[in-house]
Formats: sequence, structure tokens, C-alpha cells
Amino acid sequence: MHKTKILLAGLSLLALTSAASAVDVRISGWGGAEVALVNGLITDVLAEDLKAADINVVYEPVDGDFSQFITNALSAGTAPDLFYTDIFWSRAAFGTGKVEPTTADTSPFAPNLIDAFTYDGKVMALPKDFNTLALQYNKDIFDDAGVAYPTDDETWATLQDKLVAIHAKLPDVNGLCVVPDYARFAAFALGSGWEPFNAEGKTVLDGNFKRAFAWYTGLVPAGAAVAAADVGEGWTGGCFTKELTAVAVEGAWIIGGIRDGAPNLNWGTARIPKDPESGQAGNLIFTVGWTVNADSAVKDAAQKVAELLTSEKAQQWVLEQGLALPSRSALVDNPWLQGDTPEQTVNRVVFAGLSDGNVEPFFFGDLGGAWMEPINTALNSVLTGEADVDTALAAAQAKFDGMAAQKQ
Amino acid sequence: MNQRQRDHVVGYLFVLPFLISLGTFFLYAAVRTLIFSFTDYNLFNTPAFIGLSNYVAMLRDSMFTLALSNTLAFSLIVTVSQTILALLLAVMVNGVIKARGFWRTVFYLPSIMSSAAMTLIFLWLFQRQGLMTELVQFVVNARWYIAAFLAIFLAIQLALVFNARRRYDGVSLADPVFATVALGGAIVATYLLRLGALLPVYDEQFLISWLNTQARVLFLPQTLWSVALMNVFTTVPTLMLLFLAGLQSIPVALYEAAELDGAGRVRQFLYVTVPSLTPVTFAVVTLGIIGTLQMFDQVAILGDAAPLQSRITLAFYIYANAFPEGAASRIGMSSAAAILLGVLTLIIVYLQRALGISDKVDR
Repeated sequence: MHKTKILLAGLSLLALTSAASAVDVRISGWGGAEVALVNGLITDVLAEDLKAADINVVYEPVDGDFSQFITNALSAGTAPDLFYTDIFWSRAAFGTGKVEPTTADTSPFAPNLIDAFTYDGKVMALPKDFNTLALQYNKDIFDDAGVAYPTDDETWATLQDKLVAIHAKLPDVNGLCVVPDYARFAAFALGSGWEPFNAEGKTVLDGNFKRAFAWYTGLVPAGAAVAAADVGEGWTGGCFTKELTAVAVEGAWIIGGIRDGAPNLNWGTARIPKDPESGQAGNLIFTVGWTVNADSAVKDAAQKVAELLTSEKAQQWVLEQGLALPSRSALVDNPWLQGDTPEQTVNRVVFAGLSDGNVEPFFFGDLGGAWMEPINTALNSVLTGEADVDTALAAAQAKFDGMAAQKQ
Repeated sequence: MNQRQRDHVVGYLFVLPFLISLGTFFLYAAVRTLIFSFTDYNLFNTPAFIGLSNYVAMLRDSMFTLALSNTLAFSLIVTVSQTILALLLAVMVNGVIKARGFWRTVFYLPSIMSSAAMTLIFLWLFQRQGLMTELVQFVVNARWYIAAFLAIFLAIQLALVFNARRRYDGVSLADPVFATVALGGAIVATYLLRLGALLPVYDEQFLISWLNTQARVLFLPQTLWSVALMNVFTTVPTLMLLFLAGLQSIPVALYEAAELDGAGRVRQFLYVTVPSLTPVTFAVVTLGIIGTLQMFDQVAILGDAAPLQSRITLAFYIYANAFPEGAASRIGMSSAAAILLGVLTLIIVYLQRALGISDKVDR
């Protein structure tokens, strides 16, 4: 009895000392599907490594607007030691001066992603995953209409022909749902050779842009597409999973929508079609990285956690769950990615999107999301029939000129 | 300490909790906002004094002038229409009618919903192919039947009311119980007309952009007209309750005296009810002005469902500067706009008093 007591006391003392020596690192990201992913990494895949590094990870996911949360938390000094940074608002976060550059070796990561997170010559976030846009198609609809599936060598014109043929054959089905959103339209605008910012940092909606704009908005009158809002949907994937359209323009995130909305859908993925004139395709890079809080008391441990969370072992696991695409270049040869299921195909094509002709990260300097507003409004006014292409583009150009004037 | 001093201390103790919260969350916050409005501040730098630059930049910002005009127009339209509707509803519910409790509850229902939930429901109703569009299509296509329905309804209602008035006093023209009977009668009669296919039905298909449009109607974007409709729908019931309380405090003797002087129901309403309700009207109009000038949640929830320029209000402008999407906070600009909104609210409430809607009964 006495011995047991001593043994117990000794054991609990041991437990206390080991718990006391482990460093607590608070990490935070957004909620939703990400919670299962991060939990899986810290409690399962990386549990041993974290224990070996004497680090105890405290995971605090945040529901709601994460960029607002992190802005407030950083300014109030209550931010977690390590947190997600979305490329979209990354400049606002990096500009606070509250962010520590990464100490990890960045060479194994895809160079596009590292460039996207480079600020003032320093890499401020370790990319954890990424996405690009691709063309998803419903095989059954193409079969029913007797039209050949889209290929990786499609151009805007050949795709349009296929979509028109489908709608002609199956009047209840539209080709594509178009949305007045630069986050999708950019795949075509960039393909035309247009650049969002010219050498002087100004946005000029040139002839290339107009060609892409006229083609994209012209899909509806041509009978190749319908405005998503007109069929009660908010995104091209929504129309796709409800089989209202034959194709969608989305990233690998569409897997989640299909799993929830149409688990038996028979679908495939092709690359974004090319502009017949420039011969190139465009694409956007959406990526999220882990950023260390410069005010953290446990910066070194936080850097270590960031490295572990983006390690090959972690990314391999995430990839095989079909949850996100790895940011490490070496994983492109992963055998899982060579498979033929729709999930594997979409991931492979999204990976390839990283090397499309004109690919840009999804951020717009100091202007943030406000930069997209003139383009989105122009798309919207043409899609709703309130303006013609020239009027809409002139109004958008005037807004960009106004922004440039305000900046000076 | 004598009794008087002790009373003083106790008095202060009672108001202390309120003073603390007022001091912290209003006075301190307001003073800081005022200071920030003269600085260049993004939450992370040291605020640098830049004088009136934020105000100048704001006045030059076309989005700000748009937000200001949208806010003023929205406030005017919603305040006027919700006050008039609330008063009419209150008088109706207050009248000599059957099942008053039931109607009061029915009319109050829209107010118990959260505005977030209400906005989502309206978003769905206002889709281009949504229920509102279908409703308009229905009205257009079935116009002959609707006209017939209304005519039958009116005929039955008037017949019932005038019949009842031969026996009772004060039967309202809009008596809800008779209206229910008339409604039933009109539905049956119209259905019979339809069965016999006696009137033409059209088949016109069209889409209406209720929210997602840059069109302007009069001096307000069409989107904000839709939001105004939703706003009136949700706030009228609460204001109706205020008017109802006011109505019940008007002495019956006043109406009796007016009746002896030969005043009809309309004159009684205009010369007894409306003047006696001035303090309530003041409260209702003031609440309306403040609520509409600061309207934010409904346009925020609209989000990408409508173009920014069609939905921006001053309160949203303040928010959009404090937390711009994907860009650094502009707290200085945001504070300047907030100060301006505060001053504007004070001026308008003052103007309203100066223009005759006061908090005193003028008999």
C-alpha cells in the first residue's frame, strides 16, 4: 500500500515535470472542413514529432471572418503564436509589422507559392496548400448530348461550340454558369495576355481584356451559358452539382460540394481552355500559409510547428485524404496523384494549373478586394443586361483611374 | 454624514454602474474616435496627426457621397412610410373589432425575427427567379382575375359593414372579421370564374433584378428600395405597439366632445388622435431616423448579392474602411465617417424638433 503511494506520487511528479517542460504553442485557423484536417495532423500524424520536440499544440479554430479576427488579435496583442494567412489578405497582415519571417528551408516548396508569400524580400508564411482553377465536366451530360468531353487543349471557341451543342440537344441543361466574379473570370482574362497591373502599377483594361470580357459575357446570349443568379445559384459549382450545367470552373474545393450535393455524379476535369488568339491559358493561385506571430513568446517553437505542419509527412497524409493540394514540389510525383478517380484527376489538373501560361496569385497589392469591384460590377451589369460591353468597361476603367488618382 | 449627504451617496451609487458603462463605452470611445479621425492610423502604426485630411479625402471619395445620399434618402423613405403605416395599423387594431388580441399578435410577428434571419429570407424572396418575381408575373398574367377578385371582395365587405352599421355603432370599414368572410367569398367566386374560364390569362415570362442591379428609381438605388421594403416590414410592428399604447391613453371624453361638435371619424382622427399622439410620434420618428441612418446589418448580409454602389450606406462605409477586404484598416477615415454620421444624426433629430414634431402635446 505504502509502496504504491510512493510510486504514484513519483509518477505524478514525473508527469508534472514533463508537462511543465513542454512548450504550449497556440495555433489558429478557420473552421469548417479545416478543423478535422488540423486535428488529424496534430493528434495523429505529427503526435510523435511534436512530443519529441517537447511542444504541446493548443489548436483554436475560429468561425466567422478570420482576417478580421487576426487583425484585431494582432493589434490587441492576443493573437495566437501561429496562424493561417490567406494570400488574399496576406499583404494587410504582413504590413502590420507583427509578422515574423519564416526560418524554414523554403526550397522544397513550389516557387510560385513562395513568391506569393514573399514580402519585402522575406518569406512571411510557409504555404500549407494551394488551389488553382480547372474545368470540371459532367460526363453523363456530354454522353447524353453526344458531344466529346472537353480536353486539355480546348480553346475558348471550341469549348463554346461544345457547350452550345449541349444546350441545343438538351434544352434543360446549360453549358456553364457564369458569375460576375473576377475570382473565376480571371482564368480567361489572364489567358488573353492582359496583366492586372502594368509597368507603372496601373490597371488598364486593354484590348486583350476586352476580348476576354466580351467572350465571357457573350456566352449567355450565345446559348453556351446562363448567369448563376438566374438559376438561383451563387457559384458555378452549385449549378454543376445540381446538374443544371455541363461544366464548372472551380478549384479542387469542388470535391466537397460534390460529396455533399451529388455523391454519385460522374465527372471529370480538364485544364482551363486557352485563348485562341494568345494561345495561352490563365489561372489564379489561391493559397494559405502558416505565419508566426512576431510578438509570440515561443517563436522558435512556433516556427518548428509550422515546419512540421507543412512537412512532407504531413502533406502526404493531407493529399491522400483528398483534402488539399500539397505545397511541396516533390509531391507532384506522388503515386496517389496519378490515379483516375475524379478526385485524383481534379487534383492533378489543379496541380498543373500552377504552370499555366499566365498565372497570378489571388491578391491585389494595397487595394485588396476593392480592386476587383470595378471588374465585378462591369461583369454584373453586362450579365444582367443593364449595360453593353463598351459602356461597362468604360465605367470600370474610370473607377480604376480614380483609384490610381486617390493613391497618389 | 447627515441624512442629506447619505441620500446623495446612495443616489450616486445607484447610477454608478450606468455611469461606468456610459463613460467607457460611449464617452471614452467617442473621444477616441474623434481623436483618431484627425490621424493616419491602421491599428498598428503610431497614430500620426494629419489635421482634417481624412475629412477632405472622405468628401472627395465618390463612394462616400454616394453612401451619404443613399443613407439620407433611405432614412427619409423608411421613416415616413413606417410612421404612417404603424399609426394606421395601430388605429385599425385599436378600433372596435373582434379578436383584437389575435390581430395584434399577427401584426407583431415580423418583429420577433432577428434581422439577420429576415434578410436571408428576403434574399431568397428577392432572387431574380424568386417568389417576388413570380408574384409580379402572377399579378401581370392574372390581372383580370385579380381585378375581379378585388371587386368581389370590396362588394361583400361593404355590404357586410353597412348592414352591421344599421344595428351597431362604430363598425370599421376595415373590420377584419368581415374582411375574412369577404375574403372567403371572393376566393370562392374567383375560383368559380376560373373554372368557367370566363376571363383571359396571359403567359408572360420575365426576370426582375430586385437586388442585383445598378438601376436607380427616383433618388435611391433599386436595391435599397427592396431593403427599405424589408425594413418597413420588420419595424412597423414595434412602432405600432408604441402608437397603440399612446392611443389607449387618449381620454374618451375628447372623442365624445368632438362627436358632439359634429366631427366625423376622419376629422376625429386628424384633430384628436394625431395631435394627442405627438409625444409618441416624436419617439417613433426619432427612433426611425436613428435606426435608418445607422442601417448596417441588412446591407452587410446582402454582401455580394448586390453591387456595392447599389447598397452602400454610411454605416457600411464606416465598416468597409475599418475592415477593408484584403487590405490594411483605414481607422482614420472610418472614424471621420463615424463622427460625421453622429453629427448628422444629431442635426436631423434637432431639425425634426424645430420643424414641429415635438415631444409635447399641443392641444
